[in-house]
Amino acid sequence: MSEIDRREFLKIVGVGAGAAAAAGCYRYSELPEKLIPYVIQDEEIIPGLPVIYASTCQECSAGCGVHVRTRESRPIKLEGNPQHPINRGSLCARGQAGIGRTYHPDRYVGPLQRGSDGAFAKTTWDDAQHTVAARIAAAQGKVAVLGAPTGPALSRLIDAWLAAVGGGSRVVYEPFAREALREATSAVFGVASEPIFDLEGCDLVIDFGADSVGGSGRSPVEHARQLMAARDVAKEEGRASRLVYVGPRLDETASVADEWLPAKPGSEGVLALAVARVAFETRSKGAPGSEASLQGVLAGFSPESAAERTGVSADAIRRLGRAVAAAKKAVALPPGVALTSRRAVATNAAVLVLDVVAGAVGTSLHIPPATETRVASFRDAVKLIDAMKSGDVKVLLVHGGANPVHTLPPDSGFTAALEKVGTVVSFASLPDETSERAHFVLPDHTPLESWGDAAPRPGVRSLVQPTIRPLFDTQALGDSLLGIARAMGDGVAGSLPAGSFRGVVESAWSGTSLRAALERGGEFGEGSYASPSLSASLARIEWREPQLEGEGEFVLLPVPSPLLGDGSGAHLPWLQETPDPITKITWQSWAEISERAAASLGVRPGDVLKVETPFGSLEVPVWPRGGIRDDVIAVAIGQGHTVGRYAAVQTPDGSSAPRGVNVISVLPSLTDEAGGRAWLAAKARVRAAGRFERLPFTQETDDKRGRMLGEAISLVALAEGGPSPWAPNQAAAVVDHGTPITGAAAAATPLGEVAPGEHAGEGDKHHEPEILRAYDAVADSLPTDPFRWGMTIDVDRCTGCSACVVACSIENNVPIVGETQVKRARIMSWLRIERYVGTGEPTLQPARPGPQNHEELGKTDVRNSPMLCQHCGAAPCEPVCPVLATYHSPSGLNGMIYNRCIGTRYCSNNCPYKVRRFNWYDYQIETWPQPQPLMLNPDVTVRAQGVMEKCTFCIQRIQAGRLLAKTEGNATPADGAVKTACQQTCPTGAIHFGNLKDEKSEVREAAAQGAGRAYHALHDLNTRPAITYLARVRREGEDHSA
Amino acid sequence: MTPPPAEPVAALIRPPPVARDSQVNRDLLRVMDGVSVGYFGVLALALGFMFAAGGVWIYQVYKGLGIAGYAHPIFWGSYIVTFVFWVGIAHAGTLISAILYLFRAKWRNAINRSAEAMTVFAVLTAAQFLGIHVGRIWKSYFILPYPNQRALWVNFKSPLLWDTFAITTYATISIVFFYVGLIPDLAIARDRSTGWRRALYTVLSLGWEGTSRQWKSHNRTVLHLSGLATPLVLSVHSVVSWDFAMSIVPTWHATIFAPYFVAGAIFSGFAMVLTMMIPVRRIYGLEHIITDYHFENMSRFLLLTSLIVGYAYCAEYFIAWYSGVEAEQTSFWSRAFGPYWISTWVMISCNAIFPQILWFKKARTHVPTLFVLSVLINIGMWFERYVIIIGGLSREYDPAVWGTYTPQWTELIIVAGSFGFFCQFFLMFLKVFPVVAIAEVKEIEIHARAHGEGH
Amino acid sequence: MPQLLGVFTEPAHVAAAVHRLRGRGFTDLETFSPAPFAEIDDAMLPKPSGVRGWTLVGGLTGVVTGYALTLWMANNWQIMLGGKPFSSIPPYTIIAFELTILFGGLMTFFGLLVVGRLPSFRSHKGYSARFSAEDFGLVVRCRERDVAEIDGLLREHHATEVSLVEA
Repeated sequence: MSEIDRREFLKIVGVGAGAAAAAGCYRYSELPEKLIPYVIQDEEIIPGLPVIYASTCQECSAGCGVHVRTRESRPIKLEGNPQHPINRGSLCARGQAGIGRTYHPDRYVGPLQRGSDGAFAKTTWDDAQHTVAARIAAAQGKVAVLGAPTGPALSRLIDAWLAAVGGGSRVVYEPFAREALREATSAVFGVASEPIFDLEGCDLVIDFGADSVGGSGRSPVEHARQLMAARDVAKEEGRASRLVYVGPRLDETASVADEWLPAKPGSEGVLALAVARVAFETRSKGAPGSEASLQGVLAGFSPESAAERTGVSADAIRRLGRAVAAAKKAVALPPGVALTSRRAVATNAAVLVLDVVAGAVGTSLHIPPATETRVASFRDAVKLIDAMKSGDVKVLLVHGGANPVHTLPPDSGFTAALEKVGTVVSFASLPDETSERAHFVLPDHTPLESWGDAAPRPGVRSLVQPTIRPLFDTQALGDSLLGIARAMGDGVAGSLPAGSFRGVVESAWSGTSLRAALERGGEFGEGSYASPSLSASLARIEWREPQLEGEGEFVLLPVPSPLLGDGSGAHLPWLQETPDPITKITWQSWAEISERAAASLGVRPGDVLKVETPFGSLEVPVWPRGGIRDDVIAVAIGQGHTVGRYAAVQTPDGSSAPRGVNVISVLPSLTDEAGGRAWLAAKARVRAAGRFERLPFTQETDDKRGRMLGEAISLVALAEGGPSPWAPNQAAAVVDHGTPITGAAAAATPLGEVAPGEHAGEGDKHHEPEILRAYDAVADSLPTDPFRWGMTIDVDRCTGCSACVVACSIENNVPIVGETQVKRARIMSWLRIERYVGTGEPTLQPARPGPQNHEELGKTDVRNSPMLCQHCGAAPCEPVCPVLATYHSPSGLNGMIYNRCIGTRYCSNNCPYKVRRFNWYDYQIETWPQPQPLMLNPDVTVRAQGVMEKCTFCIQRIQAGRLLAKTEGNATPADGAVKTACQQTCPTGAIHFGNLKDEKSEVREAAAQGAGRAYHALHDLNTRPAITYLARVRREGEDHSA
Repeated sequence: MTPPPAEPVAALIRPPPVARDSQVNRDLLRVMDGVSVGYFGVLALALGFMFAAGGVWIYQVYKGLGIAGYAHPIFWGSYIVTFVFWVGIAHAGTLISAILYLFRAKWRNAINRSAEAMTVFAVLTAAQFLGIHVGRIWKSYFILPYPNQRALWVNFKSPLLWDTFAITTYATISIVFFYVGLIPDLAIARDRSTGWRRALYTVLSLGWEGTSRQWKSHNRTVLHLSGLATPLVLSVHSVVSWDFAMSIVPTWHATIFAPYFVAGAIFSGFAMVLTMMIPVRRIYGLEHIITDYHFENMSRFLLLTSLIVGYAYCAEYFIAWYSGVEAEQTSFWSRAFGPYWISTWVMISCNAIFPQILWFKKARTHVPTLFVLSVLINIGMWFERYVIIIGGLSREYDPAVWGTYTPQWTELIIVAGSFGFFCQFFLMFLKVFPVVAIAEVKEIEIHARAHGEGH
Repeated sequence: MPQLLGVFTEPAHVAAAVHRLRGRGFTDLETFSPAPFAEIDDAMLPKPSGVRGWTLVGGLTGVVTGYALTLWMANNWQIMLGGKPFSSIPPYTIIAFELTILFGGLMTFFGLLVVGRLPSFRSHKGYSARFSAEDFGLVVRCRERDVAEIDGLLREHHATEVSLVEA
């Protein structure tokens, strides 16, 4: 459908430049149909050099700033805006993948109107707008606008528009809206706003199921960065810092935590209050003058009773309480979506109380002044549905990618209510379940094509600007609304701003230098925060655990998918194909239950479970884990779409079947005390369905068998100092730095005969290989060459968020192969994150292979080890290639020459790290439907059928950096000037890249700082990798197997 | 002394008497003439498989290797398995012709011709798989060190390149050896054939007349070729084994590989010779030429090589345990008890256990037993390579990406096709060339007769 | 000149006849035998065959080519591979070995053609199919007046028949 022919493409390239500057205010159909030849050089564009625009990420509500990297005025990559206070240059996986929305092959290419035959038919903007205008006029105020949160400018416009067209209701609908937290804040502090948590420099962070560093967190990039900075083991205070996680499931945050308390789901509040009480008693510290009210609240929560109710041992509670009291800067984070129960307000309030006791208010917890709540509560959505049912809504406008049909529970009756609405207008730019039921589709621009703004928090205003001329005949939502208004006549349009939505945004920014703001990405100032004291309403809160519907034996825990979010990410193939950080499953839904539960149900991984709640039932393959409570079954939210090339399963006959399951379909539409949506609301009866489904997972076992991969070291051992127990690099000093590459004669003796640590000092020829066992920058590149590129990866900082994986795929044109190929272990990602649990046991394998999980309840010894090409000095892959298609570059890189490769695949067999990928099919043709080829990185070859490929350390970026340095008259690029895609986006700065020959380079510094825990993957193979890993640090925290 | 009275020379001229043909010639040449329906049936079957495989292969080139069962990290599959299998088969011929020739083991005469033929055909079959296996066959000429403007040569450090050289050399030498031995017999055939056959044999026999000069240089040539081929035959499978031994894959990186593979090759080669010759002998009634004595000698070889292979199996496990390298131990354990345990136990029983019955003369001389056993050994040896290659790759150093591999129908068709390819060559050979080295058999017969006449 | 053809059934007889004839000064001889018999060949050609020389030359060419090729190509454009030296003799030895065999074998074959005067498509007058059966033939080219004597000699050495193939 959305085919772009070559001429079209050239047109975009030609006009693009102008478009980027002037986009947003015109219509595709009104464009001059002529090519502007490149002989008229646009001064903004030098072919081959990227032009970068600052904008704002629209994938979730965190509001991270992005730099849109465009080439010949086509966005090819999103990168974090280093100046932006929220993400400081990093992006999460979802942000990285966001670019794919613009080039999505399913996009609506123009306005559609449902014909009498019930099928969509093309129409023109004028016709569409006039018809819709007429319907709205006829509706006489029975108009409703339902949409996701938008930037303030657009939000104000919508309100003004609604007023202008004769009134109507507006529901800002966000599935993961955190109404409970807002309510709790107003209950505890009397300020109705969502607090902002600042983990900077915290020495104690207690996360009550917020999964704050996980993809589903409130502001994952920011919190991950702050947390890992606070835990930097290079610093004394960093070593003292602790992260404690409370939650039923070993999720991303739990995996990096020092202590994990698997409390009963729903009992977090009780736990928080008990901890608060201990802390309070240990050291009476709290908001001034609040002792009395606090005592009143905390009285009923002795550690023992709490232990009874939460399943966490009283000792643990006491210890935690004392830790809170002792902490210099502690903070407790209220629950995330998964644990938002019918008592969510109480739970959140309890956690806030703990924050008060911990003295976090004002230091690590900031409360913005109460604003008019932009996000409506779930109760309003329900009200709207009732109105629709009763026919009080004649025209419904759905915008901002809101997809209530998919994200509202069936028993809310939205789908049925939608039938009752005479005119449903969808502004979706991608087809989804809701837009497919609309009568009109007036496709919106994608964020990369639109103007807009965002105000994620006080003092931070961020701009969205178009970076490409709209690919299709779409129109910005704002312009559509204005168009409709004008179509309704001057009476209506008069009260609205004239001109285009771009003008609206500009006027919203009047009083600031828009130009400067556009360059910066927005206005980043310090916000002013309220410093409230405890409110009296605290006393009115009823502290009880929630009642769960149904009498199944399992608590149904709907966890937001770290990659797909509320399901909007399911349309992006990169997010679908990136393995889940915990289970490494792609493209599918799975149910997590404990291994004990699985055993009692008699199911193995992949056996299908039938999950029944009073509100429905679904069948989903099981993934037993050690890291989840026995009474919990967790299913990720986000899959189960029935519309979309990637979101749904395309059957050969052209129809589409649901991909995975939509867990929302078995959830009730219940609310918490204050009318917020309750997710943790149902119990499930679970039994084996007697079917098996092979899950598309990419890692079968998390047992590293004691091999030198994903290492960890105890804080004690590290504090003692001394060299790393894995003895990397030791002999580097011994090596005569004059040794030419050939000096490493047969240094690549596989399975190095010399035991680690034993680095013969004598330099006679015979022992040279042994000396060179250790990695040496000089010997692994040409002595005459100024570079030996290398990397340092801090396993202790890696949260497994997989942003690097997506960034790598998009930067390097890595093809998406789809579910069936992933099942056949043909995923093409150059960079994978291996997740190991514990040191592993070299246990002997059973005859029946299958996924193995070695997690244990209450244990958090998880090592996320990013695995990519190690660019070995003595690379086993190089000597075995008969045609020299892979070789060692003068700068020490392990080069891969695609058009010399004949595909013997010997190199991969001989690669101990198994980082090489092979083009089994012609992915150029098979996996880049139009217009996706437009987003290919022109600096990176798209690999042909039958050749090997692998990580190149982003050679194109290295080359660009070297050339830039040359043009600036420097011999070599400054340290840090060249960043690999994975390093650039890593929220926690776990990856350092640079020139190993430069003693003072960041990469050497990082390795030196972590010398005590440095190791090389599979060191005893003597491949002399260019990547130095820094082991995870196990901080002492006792186990709390509930 | 006076010379006898001079007779007119003309008086001496008599009509030359009719040449009396020899029994051997008749028996052995009879194999070539006339084709039965059965023959055509088998040939059609072989060709059928061959062309089916060709079709699948073309589809594979068009579509990509993805249609095969490869799964990361198992990047070598049944194609390489079958390649090694056929290279192994190719060893019996040269061994019998060259080594046994040097050892003056006269009993080889009855079987060396067919064995050599098999060698040639097996090498040709094996060579196919190098092309079938690579990802971009249309670029596979890159592997030759041909002069080019980029002055870009090939990597002589790569075992695959050694392989290329070894296989081409082996193919060439085998063909030369085969042909040289064939020349005198072609002359025999020439003298007894008409029509196109006569034309063909006249050309191929190079006008051989068995003059002393021809025989003398022929003997020399055979001797020297044997001298060259003996180290060659030992080297070829060593080189093939180094494709694996030179890598760092656990269970591959072992010094025992060369002898282990050579023994295995001879083992499978002899088995294949038996598999082919037993039916041939039966169908064409050559019992008095290829006697049970020959089969018994070959089964002795089988027993010997089976013991060597069996020893290698044990040695591998011992070293894995003794080396204390966890990766090796894990990999070997999973070989025996992991996902590929069936293949492993098929291999062990077929190659190391069943052949032990050859300790008994009854078994060695009972032809049906030998036939069944030889087929079993062929199967076992295919699985040996399967286990080594797939098993090794499926359990490497990085446990996170351990994989499993299942052959797809496409591969199996191509593998089956290789047998068709081989068989159709052999069937044609039966009808075009003498299946037994007639001259050499004759040599023995005449000697025997001479002694029989009491000289 | 006339040629006499004696037909024998035993290689030994042929050899004896050859020796005798040579002794009597008849050197223009030719034999046909259905199988290789050293006694005949040695009686006819006492000198060792020249094939060995060809093999030697071929082998030497092979080994030299092998090392030269590999070493030159590896150093013509030096490419770093897994930290190994550019000129690594052990792997190149394998190439050298294979080429030794290849060239040696081919040269040996050419040696056979040259030394054995093959191919020769002018069939010898005396040759007939019986000699590719089980008979041996000995052809003597001599002057008219020696015919009778040679006839006698041949019969004396158990020639089953003697005939004049050319007057």
